[in-house]
Amino acid sequence: MGGKVTCTLGEVKNRADLIVYWGGNPAECHPRHFTKYALMPKGRFVPNGRKDRTMVLVDIRETPSAKAADIFLQVRPGKDFELITVLRAMIKDQPVDAALAADTGLSMEQIREFVDLMKKARFGVFFFGMGLSMTRGKHMNSAALLTLAAELNAFTKFVAMPMRGHGNVTGGDVIMRWTTGYPFGVNLARGYPRFNPGEFSTIDLLLRGDADAALVLGADPGATMPQPCIDHMARIPTIVLDPKVTHTSRIARVHITTAVTGISAPGTAYRMDEIPLPLRPPLKSPYPTDEEVVRRIYEAVRKKPPLPVHAMPKLAAV
Amino acid sequence: MTGNSKLRLRGGRVYDPASGVNGVVQDVCICDGKIAADVAGGRTIDATGMVVFPGGVDVHTHVAGAALNFARAMIPEDHRRHQQFARTLNTRGGIGGSTPTTFITGYLYAGLGYTTVNEAAMPILSARHTHEELRDTPIVDKSTCVLMANHEILLDLIEAGELERARHLVAWNIWAAKAYGVKAVNPGGVAAWKWGKDAKALHDPVAGFDKATPAKIIKTLADIVDGLGLPHPIHLHCNNLGAPGNYTTTLETMRLLEGNRAHMAHLQYHSYGGDDWFTMRSESARIADYFNTHPNLTADAGAVLFGDTVTITADGPWQHLLFKLTGRKWGNIDVENETGCGVVPYVYKERNLVNAVQWAVGLELLLLIDDPWRVYLTTDHPNGAAFWRYPEIIRLLMDADFRKEQLKKLPAKALSRITLPELTREYTLFEIAIITSAGPARALGLPNKGTLRVGADADIAVFNESKDAFAMFSYPRYVIKAGEVVIEEGEIRKSVDGKGLLVRPQYDESIDDFIRPKFQQYYTMAFDNYPVELERIEHPDLRPCQTPN
Repeated sequence: MGGKVTCTLGEVKNRADLIVYWGGNPAECHPRHFTKYALMPKGRFVPNGRKDRTMVLVDIRETPSAKAADIFLQVRPGKDFELITVLRAMIKDQPVDAALAADTGLSMEQIREFVDLMKKARFGVFFFGMGLSMTRGKHMNSAALLTLAAELNAFTKFVAMPMRGHGNVTGGDVIMRWTTGYPFGVNLARGYPRFNPGEFSTIDLLLRGDADAALVLGADPGATMPQPCIDHMARIPTIVLDPKVTHTSRIARVHITTAVTGISAPGTAYRMDEIPLPLRPPLKSPYPTDEEVVRRIYEAVRKKPPLPVHAMPKLAAV
Repeated sequence: MTGNSKLRLRGGRVYDPASGVNGVVQDVCICDGKIAADVAGGRTIDATGMVVFPGGVDVHTHVAGAALNFARAMIPEDHRRHQQFARTLNTRGGIGGSTPTTFITGYLYAGLGYTTVNEAAMPILSARHTHEELRDTPIVDKSTCVLMANHEILLDLIEAGELERARHLVAWNIWAAKAYGVKAVNPGGVAAWKWGKDAKALHDPVAGFDKATPAKIIKTLADIVDGLGLPHPIHLHCNNLGAPGNYTTTLETMRLLEGNRAHMAHLQYHSYGGDDWFTMRSESARIADYFNTHPNLTADAGAVLFGDTVTITADGPWQHLLFKLTGRKWGNIDVENETGCGVVPYVYKERNLVNAVQWAVGLELLLLIDDPWRVYLTTDHPNGAAFWRYPEIIRLLMDADFRKEQLKKLPAKALSRITLPELTREYTLFEIAIITSAGPARALGLPNKGTLRVGADADIAVFNESKDAFAMFSYPRYVIKAGEVVIEEGEIRKSVDGKGLLVRPQYDESIDDFIRPKFQQYYTMAFDNYPVELERIEHPDLRPCQTPN
């Protein structure tokens, strides 16, 4: 199974009567999520807003988001995949080993109640965070939850959406897909895109010391990446485009100060549901925009003699 | 954009159906990006022994936007299996396959001699995204159809009988999305899918509504499109796509549209008989019989070819069914208040009875509809097959013996369910020029496309004349876009930008006051962020509407 059954945030606002946050802490990490999209707004088919919705939080600890939840389910750390698998079995009325269920940290009664809640919802949604996608099991956890959402559609309407953050990371994904076919971890060294997370992702390239230069745009890997990656960035010519001084800019060979996108530079940002929003800068900046700098670097690079490239394969072959 | 160079194509065999030119050896002259009566000086290309066509026009394809980009992310295995395109000094690198990357889409279309494409399904909410992808789709000119048949504010107006206001709403949305036409997908069915339901009967109210029925939505939208004088008629994906026995729905829908212009999208998927998957059969003859006597209609084939592909449609409920049938990947995005979309990878197999019937139905419709001016070559890319496989279909249409050979590969049971074995018609080059270029250009209301008459856009494809239609149409010798030679000796020599085709239908500006509060209530985006600014369209070409009646 693969794929994703999802929707735009307005569907949640207008229809969702069961909101499940899994492995995320929106109260602190996405503070407008409750009020703007998921929990509080009065929607077309949930006219009473919060009163018409039930919120479940699944997490390993009681975060501030638990206060907003009607039901808090404390899953044992590292047991998300097991819990999802139990849920997938139970929605289909398949027998589940009680010991396996107990191993998830939840009682059979809690699980049964949760299953009931999901199947009876008119429109349910899973919002999942890095507590699911970046802990033991990683992408397998995400895949399991997406599968559960897909399978619930045999009973009712159910969707799932990752709680993405870090500015316009979704926009980066979207553009990589239309230009290269892949969302991230793309290697263009052969002149065409190759995709292999774990081999071509930034961390892997830096860790192995494969990269002999780095251009860092709208990110601060010097603050978040493993130390050997940071050390390698300090060794090679690293160029940072950023409005402010960052951990990365301190170790970079070149730091070009650019205008702040959205404040003094225009553009487009993609929401976590991949809806594009125009950015209208209210202020002017003495600094160039990221786009302008990249364009000028590109034009300068183009003046150099071209590297040999592979011949274009014949068109329209079957 | 527009070539300022002069060019003469000398001595080619010219097929220009719109001017009635059928295989006449004559020169074609180009000046300033347009076809000219004569030209002095400039480059001369010797086209002796070659066939000259107006550049291809694809009336229905899915090449850009949120749904297609969602599909790209879902099928890395498909990307790896298909062709990879390395960058050259003139072209960008990318991926071919079922969902080519944007730059490769432009190159591949040009590589078939196509110079205009119509992206057939654009939600308004993500129109900005669609246009960003289209900017990155080189060479071809691009138009878009905006999805309106499940737009809940419109459905509310239909429910309330406020049809005048509905017209302003539709016109406002076309301009907000910077679109060219109106698409209706499974009218009412996608709105119902938001509750996990579908709209199967044309006269039953849509789930969540009391009076709005699929029939009312279809009729209202068709009237609005005609009333606004849009160059392209309503672009309709009927209810019950893909379902056995759905030909009755299709016939009923076509009857509803008497008195309107309408384009029936991917008719192949709507021409099935039988009661279930085991008894499914072709009803293309009945559809074609009706269609032949109703000149208000045009259609595209939506033909299927055997092999791997990925299906992408705004028809959410159908995709859920397809997921249940295949058990493979399933992607779904419901778009607030407007539409939905489903993505399911799929393999059409020769030995599969249902797939065999689908394959035959697409060809049957192309052969049974008498007037090539009203039926066009498409595969509903990428649903039936990727667009770069069009030459395979052209060969099947032009060669009855080859068709017979292919029929032998089908399961014996399938042969009694289809009429293809009885059809001996063979397309001529003149007719191929109609279904790939002149016809769709006319249906889209683009008088400067699909023709080589003086003053038309100099979009031209030049093929080596050959008995092997597949080879001939797979590798055009020259392709000229707006007077620029973009393909020469089968290679991309130059990549130019295409235009963005759009319309601005008339509407009462005060409709803003009606939409704004509803928008703020139902949507999650600020109202002022919703319309796409004209500056976002690269090389916009504002096409005229006829005077509203």
